[in-house]
Amino acid sequence: MTHEAFEDLIAVYAVGALDGEDLVRLRAHLAAGCARCEAALREAEDDLARAVPPLSPPPHVKDALLARVGPVAAPARRRPAWVPWALATAAAVVAGAAFTGAFVAIRYEARLGQMAREVSAAREQLRREAAALELLRDPATRVVALRGAGPQPEAAGRVIWHDRAGGELFVANLSPAPRGKAYELWTIAGGRPRPAALFEVDASGKGSARIEPTGGGVDVFAVTLEPERGVPAPTGPIVLASKAE
Amino acid sequence: MAPGAELIRGMAAGDRAAFAAFYDRYAPLAYSVILRVVRDRADGADVLQDVFWEAWRTADAYDAARGSPEAWIVMRARTRAIDRVRARRRREETFVAPVDEAVARDTGADVARQVEDRGLVGSALERLPVPQREAIELAYFEGLSQTEIAERLKQPLGTVKTRIRAGLERLREVMRRSP
Repeated sequence: MTHEAFEDLIAVYAVGALDGEDLVRLRAHLAAGCARCEAALREAEDDLARAVPPLSPPPHVKDALLARVGPVAAPARRRPAWVPWALATAAAVVAGAAFTGAFVAIRYEARLGQMAREVSAAREQLRREAAALELLRDPATRVVALRGAGPQPEAAGRVIWHDRAGGELFVANLSPAPRGKAYELWTIAGGRPRPAALFEVDASGKGSARIEPTGGGVDVFAVTLEPERGVPAPTGPIVLASKAE
Repeated sequence: MAPGAELIRGMAAGDRAAFAAFYDRYAPLAYSVILRVVRDRADGADVLQDVFWEAWRTADAYDAARGSPEAWIVMRARTRAIDRVRARRRREETFVAPVDEAVARDTGADVARQVEDRGLVGSALERLPVPQREAIELAYFEGLSQTEIAERLKQPLGTVKTRIRAGLERLREVMRRSP
């Protein structure tokens, strides 16, 4: 393939529209370390990022984000002076109350930050589960079981799949991927694997991923262990697979 | 290092003031792309918040050698916005697929009107020839693949690729001339 042809593919990739064979070919070419294409892609992405006129977002978004990350200038911690009860004046009582208030506020803010993180994770989880539930209502949706293969026989997975809408993968009892590695899901149709999703597994061995529609049916779902940025065609050991239909 | 990259580095170190400055600088660009994809202010604000929250949490993964801060945040914004539209569509499709298809058939609207709808008047994209702009917009804002664009426009795949590439080249010229 000439470089000229890759330049077309780079442009289509930059606008997020590359698919099929072309996508596999370009990914392999980039993975092989073509500096020229890499630079062309950067440039195209940069141009696109600046091609739309900026628009002021609604102010409440920034407020919500700053509340989520915690106060921008953290208040300094102060230790209240110890005042003997016998000498306590009304002023000291008021000051004491203020200090207590400040302590409570600092602790409360730290707790709020942590809660915001938890809520955000829970929201993401909820969104995924709600999507799975909606899919399940459709009579054309099927649930496919994946069994542990090779090194992790105790691993298990389920794919909720709809040929037109795509689906969701849920796995359990899978050990977290080693550093620099990630699990990659493949949809196999007519004997050809297509990369479907990269995902991670938490400490309890659970993980999930959204699967975009492939534009057709899928015969087999399989998971392999791959380098963390993903690969265009499977190279690592199969850890989970469904039975062929 | 570009000032934007400096801010992202600050965010990775947990610097909230850097995050606030990063938001001020890049949120208008991200919001612009998001709104043009989701076309709904409430959804747009929601996606914007998700995108910047994700940026705050994954700032340490940013690699200045792999792209500008603009590209980093805008690409996330676009992807999340398209996810949102797809989720919305799936929700609708599950229950009212026939209606949805009828609506889809009906939206072969002319590009001039689409450009107006997206508020791109006066932007660099607006200055591309219509066939190029149309192909780029279907990809970038509607999230269609090259195959889907070819089907939608009833053009050979090769033509779609050429239009997108020529469009991006033209975009660069336009932006170089009036940065």
